Amino acid sequence: MSGLRMFIALVAARALTFLIRLSGRGRGSSLPGRVALKICPDLIRRGTSRVSRGIILVTGTNGKTTTNNMIARILEGSGHRVLVNREGANLLAGVASAFAREMDVPGRLCFDYACLEVDEAAFPLVASQVKPQLVVLTNFFRDQLDRYGELDRTVSLVRDALKGMEGAKLILNADDPLVAQLGRSTGLQSVFYGIAEHEGVRFQGSADREAKFCPFCGRELSYRYYQYSQLGNYRCPKCGFSRPDPDVEGVSPRSEGGFTSCRVRFRQGSAVPLDIPVYGVYNLYNALAAYSAALLLGADPHGAAGLLRGYTPATGRMEKFHYRGKPVYLHLVKNPTGFNEGLRALVGVADSRVDVMIAINDNDADGRDISWLWDVDFEILEDRQDKFGIFVCTGRRAEEMALRLKYAGISEARLAVVNGYKEAVKRVLEGESPKSYLLATYTALWPVERILRGYARRVQTKTEYLPHVS
Amino acid sequence: MPGGFRPKLNICHMYPDLLNLYGDRGNIMAFSRRCLWRGIQVEVHPVSIGDKVAFSRMDFVFLGGGSDREQNLMAADLMERTGDLREAIEDGLAVLAICGGYQLLGKYYRTITGEVIPGLGILDLYTEGGQKRLIGNVAVEVELGGARQKITGFENHSGRTYLGNLEPLGDVLAGHGNNGEDGKEGARYKNVICSYLHGPILPKNPFITDHLISRALERRYREAFLEPLDDSLEEAANRVMLKRLLG
Ligand SMILES: [Zn+2]
Repeated sequence: MSGLRMFIALVAARALTFLIRLSGRGRGSSLPGRVALKICPDLIRRGTSRVSRGIILVTGTNGKTTTNNMIARILEGSGHRVLVNREGANLLAGVASAFAREMDVPGRLCFDYACLEVDEAAFPLVASQVKPQLVVLTNFFRDQLDRYGELDRTVSLVRDALKGMEGAKLILNADDPLVAQLGRSTGLQSVFYGIAEHEGVRFQGSADREAKFCPFCGRELSYRYYQYSQLGNYRCPKCGFSRPDPDVEGVSPRSEGGFTSCRVRFRQGSAVPLDIPVYGVYNLYNALAAYSAALLLGADPHGAAGLLRGYTPATGRMEKFHYRGKPVYLHLVKNPTGFNEGLRALVGVADSRVDVMIAINDNDADGRDISWLWDVDFEILEDRQDKFGIFVCTGRRAEEMALRLKYAGISEARLAVVNGYKEAVKRVLEGESPKSYLLATYTALWPVERILRGYARRVQTKTEYLPHVS
Repeated sequence: MPGGFRPKLNICHMYPDLLNLYGDRGNIMAFSRRCLWRGIQVEVHPVSIGDKVAFSRMDFVFLGGGSDREQNLMAADLMERTGDLREAIEDGLAVLAICGGYQLLGKYYRTITGEVIPGLGILDLYTEGGQKRLIGNVAVEVELGGARQKITGFENHSGRTYLGNLEPLGDVLAGHGNNGEDGKEGARYKNVICSYLHGPILPKNPFITDHLISRALERRYREAFLEPLDDSLEEAANRVMLKRLLG
């Protein structure tokens, strides 16, 4: 009987996915899963029981998609069959969609691993349905407060869910105190990754720093240096909680020519060079998390590093396009920390002039409250205005975005509010600067990407650097 | 300002390191920029726990809100300063208090479990904790300095605030306001403006910003003339939300 339910659920989900794609409305990522779960509520549990080697969950605020895709890439490149929930479909229904999409209709599934990125707020629910072998945590930042309540609550919900996971191993960011504390507070076996002190660290905290207080005793943490936001080398003066020594540590990171590289130092002292075809230290954290996870699953250190070099960024994670020979970058923004990363990358590519487009929506999936735009450090652009041509603002809250730039000191002559994604994308591509840079919130990303694809060619990094892995 | 005289205003940003939620610092940016665009100099004084501050020498004080833990720390620190702050407010100090800061200026906050957390008691208002958070976009009609205008912002609070012998900031046109019952939003006392509106409130509603700047100039220099600015972008941003909320 339940076999029949599963059969019907899978057929229904397939049909829905097909119809949604046919209608050209969105990517059909969560509706099929929602329907399949209605018909067969234990679809996910039944699906995971057929994954032979293990389930890997990736959660945290930023970098989930990138980290998850990197893990999947290493595992696939090492010859495994991997099930992935792609493109940020990371609530329960999205995870169900992934299983419904990939399982054959008789319900037999032959995957070695399932790599699932899970929204931090949905983590307890998803975690109750699967028995993960590994849980990878990226970081905790403030994200869409009106939907999730406050950060402390999110962290404690994730912690409580982890406590119930006997036998799971954790991959933890040593540099984020909110993540690193989970080793001690859950008692689970943990592997720590981090980035060592380097030229780019700061000695002053920034305004978007989330965690100021010790998660164990509440005393304000003191820092030797910051990487960004609350990530850095911290210590509690009262109870001694401090940054754990990373098992896998990135040393001397630098970004150059669209690649970010470092040396990976292991606790035992050996080192492996690592290059990833994406920009910024924050992406290096994702790569180190993925690398640690892959090594723990038995991947070869040199082979895994080679596979990361051939990683293709997911849509909107500093994705690169070409428009008539002009480099164009597309970047997803969803919270102050992520936006600040995007701005730093923007300043990074502004060695020649750049035209910028920013698309801001306030639909549920973006967060209805856009006041967080005022927590983003647009002020770093003020003194470099000659590096920018125009700032095209679009989306449901285009005017508010333009206003934010005005109060960041950007001259109004450079600001344009353009209604309609198509007009806005055209305007920025046809700007006079030799580069374009597009930033979009979640629900604006897909339409912008679709339009961009129509005009510009996506730059593929996948095959160029593909190493030989047996 | 007439002649070659260059006025200067001292802005006091209370606990920017603790209360950095919901873009509150946008209020400081708006106040500062609108002064600078008119040749009024500003100096921003960030005040942290335990720092010394003379409210009598300040011209504008901003007090925002934070998460519970941060708010408790801030409340304890502010209690020590209540006397000075009250005196400066009676003397006409311009103050903007948002959300948690608004609640704190009142008499008390009674939580849902019945626990009473004392406030500074500077304003005649109190707050009761509520089960459901009041969240969403808000439109309010405000009368300030003889002009009636519609302002917009975003509210997110579980406390319900009730005013005693105190004027509200305005009438709710859409959204919940102070308590979701009486159709009022915010509070006013002398040159103090309180509101639940994030947004943040000042950048998108420049006539409130200019009202606060004028009051600050009057208190410091006995006169205030504010050159009009081009606010078309501010009005456009406001109009988008008004249209969505009110049609
Ligand atoms: Zn401690």
